[in-house]
Amino acid sequence: MLIIPAIDLKDGQCVRLKQGLMDEATVFSNSPGEQAAHWLEQGARRLHVVDLNGAFAGKPKNEKAIKEIVEAVGDEIPVQLGGGIRDLDTIERCLDNGVSYVIIGTAAVKNPGFLHDACSAFPGQIIVGLDAKDGKVAVDGWSKLTKHDVIDLAKKCEDYGVEAIIYTDIGRDGMLSGINIEATVKLAQSLRIPVIASGGLSNIEDIRKLCAVESEGIAGTIAGRAIYDGSLDFAEAQAEADRASEA
Amino acid sequence: MENKSGTIAVIDYGMGNLRSVWQALVHVAQGRDVVVTADPSVVASAERVVFPGQGAMPDCMRELDARGLRQAVLGAAKNKPFLGICIGLQMLFEHSEEGDVPGLGVFPGRVRRFPADSMVTPEGRKLKVPHMGWNEVSQSRSHALWSGIENGSRFYFVHSYFVDPSDKGCVSGTTDYGIPFTSAVARDNIFAIQCHPEKSAQAGLALLSNFVKWTP
Repeated sequence: MLIIPAIDLKDGQCVRLKQGLMDEATVFSNSPGEQAAHWLEQGARRLHVVDLNGAFAGKPKNEKAIKEIVEAVGDEIPVQLGGGIRDLDTIERCLDNGVSYVIIGTAAVKNPGFLHDACSAFPGQIIVGLDAKDGKVAVDGWSKLTKHDVIDLAKKCEDYGVEAIIYTDIGRDGMLSGINIEATVKLAQSLRIPVIASGGLSNIEDIRKLCAVESEGIAGTIAGRAIYDGSLDFAEAQAEADRASEA
Repeated sequence: MENKSGTIAVIDYGMGNLRSVWQALVHVAQGRDVVVTADPSVVASAERVVFPGQGAMPDCMRELDARGLRQAVLGAAKNKPFLGICIGLQMLFEHSEEGDVPGLGVFPGRVRRFPADSMVTPEGRKLKVPHMGWNEVSQSRSHALWSGIENGSRFYFVHSYFVDPSDKGCVSGTTDYGIPFTSAVARDNIFAIQCHPEKSAQAGLALLSNFVKWTP
């Protein structure tokens, strides 16, 4: 299982939000490139980058920071990027900038035709991020809850040919109350593509719990606040996960 | 025990959850029974057998024996349509470097770890072990289980060790990860694959569907 460090970008800085609220941001670094290099040095094999301004605006807003990140680590490890990616031109531009995977969130829910086109045009490079609360999908930076059942929607994504689903249980994100393992496993069991768990990873116990269900199709987990505030040691977490997935 | 025709047995030796494998098989089984079982007699009476698994080879071998399943697996590998997945492929070989343990010896050859000094791409990018993620499988020869699956299709992998058969005649698929390695083998009624077809989207489902229909 991959432990994927998250870098959330707001106004060119690396921040963490609490429960998705823009005005509850803690700044962790002024240099996205250095932050990315730090995680590479710690042994990260992929980075998860979110353009928070982009997610709220509906189009990318932190291109300079993203380029710095790709420049710092892009030759070594893949970078997956989400936040405001809602048309094919934007995807092409991200990929041209050296991003390996783009994450489509809200647009996958609101505009399935776009997702379908994206999967056809950029096979193997599209990941869908689904945020959900009580099984229902949320959009627009968690500000709106839809009527879409998260499993039904994820299955549709699978049919279109997406690479993986990032599942975020938003009731818990940013609160360090632990990944919603039960809901994540339920989704993974329903799918024939891997799921990346997100939202509230807090300590090494969470890593162990996820490793125990890896065979259900949990390919990785996104590590946010916990690896920044020290409640989870990144290198130790990845080593633990590697021990568990030997074979 | 009554011979229950059409049953697909998924062997459960206590290493990991098998619900995803089970669900994927049910999806393609066209109404046939798919059972997850640790009972040797159920394995013996099944029409076809899936041998999955995860974890370290020494643990898997130990748990297999602890549940008295070794003979059932060997018996099924002799004459039933048999699908090995991941460690279920590796356990069919004679020996594994992982824990330096003997396997079931159904195929001659050894299970090796990805060599650290070969873990770079042609472009010079470092590759990590475990090999984790989607990768292409080149079909070395035609086989009923490859039917309808384009050569070079991408499958989902999670592993640090790979099989190195002494008899290259059994090699059915290869994959590149720093080095080319054997990602699928076949002989008579046995097909075994390193990746996880149950997590490999359409190509994986096609392979499982082919297995369900396969008459070796």
